Amino acid sequence: MNKDYLGEFEELVLTMVGILGEEAYGIAIVNEIHERLGREVNLSAVHVTLYRLEDKGHVKSRMGGATNARGGRRKRIFTITNAGLAMLKNMKEARIDLWRMIPQLKYSV
Amino acid sequence: MNFESGSYNNNSKSQQTKSALDARAVRFTMRFLNWFCPPELYEGIEGDLLEQFDYDLQHSGLEKAKRNLIWNMLKFFRPGIFMRNRFTIQLINTIMWGNYLKVATRNIARRKLYSFINAIGLSIGIAFCILIFLYIDDERSFDQFHENKDQIYRLNEASYSVWAAERGEYPMEKSAYLPLPLGTALKNEIPEIQYLTRFNSGQTAIFRYEDKVFTEHIAFVEADFFKMFSFPVLAGSAEQLFKDKYEIVLTPEIATKYFGKEDPIGKVITLDIQGEHQFTVSGVIEEPPSNSSLSFKILVPIENQFWYERNREQWGSFSYPTFIQLHANTSPDDFQAKVDTLINKKMGDRLKQWRKDGKIPDEYPVFELSYTKLTDIHLNTEVSWDKVSDPKYSWILGGIALLIILIASINYISLALTTSASRRIEVGIRKVVGAQKKQLVSQFGLESLILAFVSLFIGVGLAVLFLPPFNEFTGKGINIYSVNALQFIGSALLITVLVGIVAGSYPALFLSGFLPAAVLKGGFTSKLKAGFTKPLVVFQFFLSASMIICSVVMYRQMEFIAVKDLGFDHEQVLVIPTQAGWNEEADKVVEQFRNKASTEPSITHVAGTSSSFNQGWSRYGYKIKDENKSAYVYRVDPAYAELLNLEFVEGRNFDERIASDSTAIVVNEALVRDMGWDNPLDEYLNWREDSVGLGSKVIGVVKDYHFLSLERDIEPMFLSMDKRNTGYLTSMLVKVNPGDLSDKLDRVKKIWTGLYPDKPFDYSFMDQDVANQYQAYKRWMKITALSTGFAIFIACLGLFGLAGVNAINRTKEIGIRKVMGAELFSILFMLNRQYVWLAIIAFSLAAPISWYVMTKWLGSFKYAITISWDLFAISLLAGLSLALFTVSYHAIKAANVNPAETLKYE
Repeated sequence: MNKDYLGEFEELVLTMVGILGEEAYGIAIVNEIHERLGREVNLSAVHVTLYRLEDKGHVKSRMGGATNARGGRRKRIFTITNAGLAMLKNMKEARIDLWRMIPQLKYSV
Repeated sequence: MNFESGSYNNNSKSQQTKSALDARAVRFTMRFLNWFCPPELYEGIEGDLLEQFDYDLQHSGLEKAKRNLIWNMLKFFRPGIFMRNRFTIQLINTIMWGNYLKVATRNIARRKLYSFINAIGLSIGIAFCILIFLYIDDERSFDQFHENKDQIYRLNEASYSVWAAERGEYPMEKSAYLPLPLGTALKNEIPEIQYLTRFNSGQTAIFRYEDKVFTEHIAFVEADFFKMFSFPVLAGSAEQLFKDKYEIVLTPEIATKYFGKEDPIGKVITLDIQGEHQFTVSGVIEEPPSNSSLSFKILVPIENQFWYERNREQWGSFSYPTFIQLHANTSPDDFQAKVDTLINKKMGDRLKQWRKDGKIPDEYPVFELSYTKLTDIHLNTEVSWDKVSDPKYSWILGGIALLIILIASINYISLALTTSASRRIEVGIRKVVGAQKKQLVSQFGLESLILAFVSLFIGVGLAVLFLPPFNEFTGKGINIYSVNALQFIGSALLITVLVGIVAGSYPALFLSGFLPAAVLKGGFTSKLKAGFTKPLVVFQFFLSASMIICSVVMYRQMEFIAVKDLGFDHEQVLVIPTQAGWNEEADKVVEQFRNKASTEPSITHVAGTSSSFNQGWSRYGYKIKDENKSAYVYRVDPAYAELLNLEFVEGRNFDERIASDSTAIVVNEALVRDMGWDNPLDEYLNWREDSVGLGSKVIGVVKDYHFLSLERDIEPMFLSMDKRNTGYLTSMLVKVNPGDLSDKLDRVKKIWTGLYPDKPFDYSFMDQDVANQYQAYKRWMKITALSTGFAIFIACLGLFGLAGVNAINRTKEIGIRKVMGAELFSILFMLNRQYVWLAIIAFSLAAPISWYVMTKWLGSFKYAITISWDLFAISLLAGLSLALFTVSYHAIKAANVNPAETLKYE
């Protein structure tokens, strides 16, 4: 059952990997989260989460081409796998199902 | 790298230096990352870090970028990164831990005796460690509770001691007692000192409120005392206390004693400090905890101290301990120069005079002022002070704890090794199924850790149980509830894990080393050689034997002291302070009491003296023919020598009827030797250095008796009746007939209260006073005896287990021997022989070492037993018979088994 569950942060990072497509790597994800959500996250936390997602098979990684920008270091580019995409979808649907179950009218003014 | 030596004045050069430094910082950061980061991740992470660095460099400047870089890098130092992929095998291994746990508990449950022996030994060891941890913790916690502890200092003086120089010791003697005017001058002239107070304790006064009259210990302090120290003031205002000379501050205990439940503030009481005065209670202050170097029950303004007015200008009277509090951010070093100038100004002439009088060599100063931080007072043995303790005691106790835990660990090791035969098949099968050596080590390690943790629980229980007697032994007031819980649990866990590892590592390595093929093929005897156990047992024996010898020597010495003829009778003697102050009245008290007592048949003698045994002494230094001499002086009356049954070698005792006796003296043999007199009765001792006259006439010589403790030689001493020069009879000695002491005590008390209804009847027994001189030694003897007891107990337990295993290993052999006609005795002999040898080897190692240690210990006594061979013989015999007794149980059991039982399965 472990594989069927993602933590909040894991889900966030996985979503970002999906959004960024070919440009998904550590620092880019940190910046993206900052831009879109205004949330400051830790670079090391993002890395660790990415590796964990890779272990679980939700993303896969490869080394990108070298550029001059990063002192010549290559980027480790992450891409979302089908399993990861399915996982995100499942979680979203499950959440929406749950959301619908809240008797919302009761609380409306 | 020339920036290190380069000058920073040149601007361009400093720029250069800076960038070189930056490059270095980045390189260093990356090197650290490289060190812990798995290589396959390194490049991606480094790239991200550098990208962030570049971004920061453009947006927030170099400094911030650098800080962020290092900070971001450090955040990668987390298990998710550096543990990644490294311990995968280990992680899978956790699957087996459930099984290990099960096997471990089964093993512990199956071999109940061994588990019991191990657990008991380890728990006692751990309990000892905990107690000693508490002891050391308490020693270190002294005076830490004062808010201003870092700014408070006690002043010490070091002055040249002629006596110490004579004895050939280092002549600068340190003391916390200063002249009264020095403190006043310091406070007035040195602005760095914020507060200053004297603290004189150890004096008594008669405290009276309505019909309650008792002698109480009082401490004299000044108003600043309440501002400096953090003893909570429970009633009254700390700022306002001691504005008036006749204020008094009590601890709650004293307040309840006199006023019960009534509010003590504003109560008027009478205090007799060399004269009666009314005092108003103006405050209640919490009693100092046991880990405070300052202790008091009643505080009185120092102006009330007798001699205070006189001492205000006495630069030569060293009797006031002085504490200062400095303004924040100052240290005594800051004004040392000022202090030196001050001392020179105030005391310069006097010091020169002292140098001349005392013939003090120029290389030593006459007088020096130094400081001890409040929190250092307790462990500073250079300056004597209430409760000061030598840090070496902490070391000794720590050593004892270590020894005991070592002995217990050895039990575990040797039992684990000797019983390892039963685990062989298990190890073999585990290995065949695919266990790695590492796994087996962790399995056996886990087992010893489990046992250690079980022992921890028992040990904590034992420690709590034994805390009260331990407090009594060490003279401490440790409370388990006041211990820092986190620190305590942390240390307990640390000890336990350490024990688990120390005890478990060797057996774990040994057991996991079996070759599966050899083990599983079978066909070897059930006896297993674990050669390493023998040295361990010898070592264990060695430790126990050393402790036995030390205990026996200490016991002998204490016994020697108890029965040693001191040269005077100290049985059946009551010592009663005359409570009349330092004046003529005191002499009258003795006289009046003697008159009343003459009608009481159970009182045989009444005598007076200036100080009874172990209640102080005074010593005079004088010059005879330009030679420095000194002698102890006791003011006595004629009954003194009779009461103590002192033996006169020459001459006679004092006689009231002979007027000239009032200035005559009776000397001891040591003084005669010191003066080199041939006919002492013809001699005069000019101890007051009279320029006219010859001095005091010697009328008698008493045989040497131990007026000081046996730690000291019998030094020159004389008795005198000269009240003007040697003092008053502040103590009264009352000798009663042998028989029911409590009845005699009642009679003495009746006479006393009949004569002085307003004076408390305080008394002590002289033999107890004399015995109390050796309390510290007795305490250490008890501690050693106790630890020896436990050490031997644990070692015997281990031996018992070992002997059991050995006997079982040899059951078959014993059966065959019996069939062949061996006697019970010869089998016993065979089984026990090796233990006797081990014990003898251990003993011959222990003897010289303990001899050395004990010779040192006895060195602190001038009168000590000599360590003779019979001490060792007794110790050896005791140890050996204990060991034989322990192992014989199994030997007899094994030897009595019917051989048919053991052999029929063959």
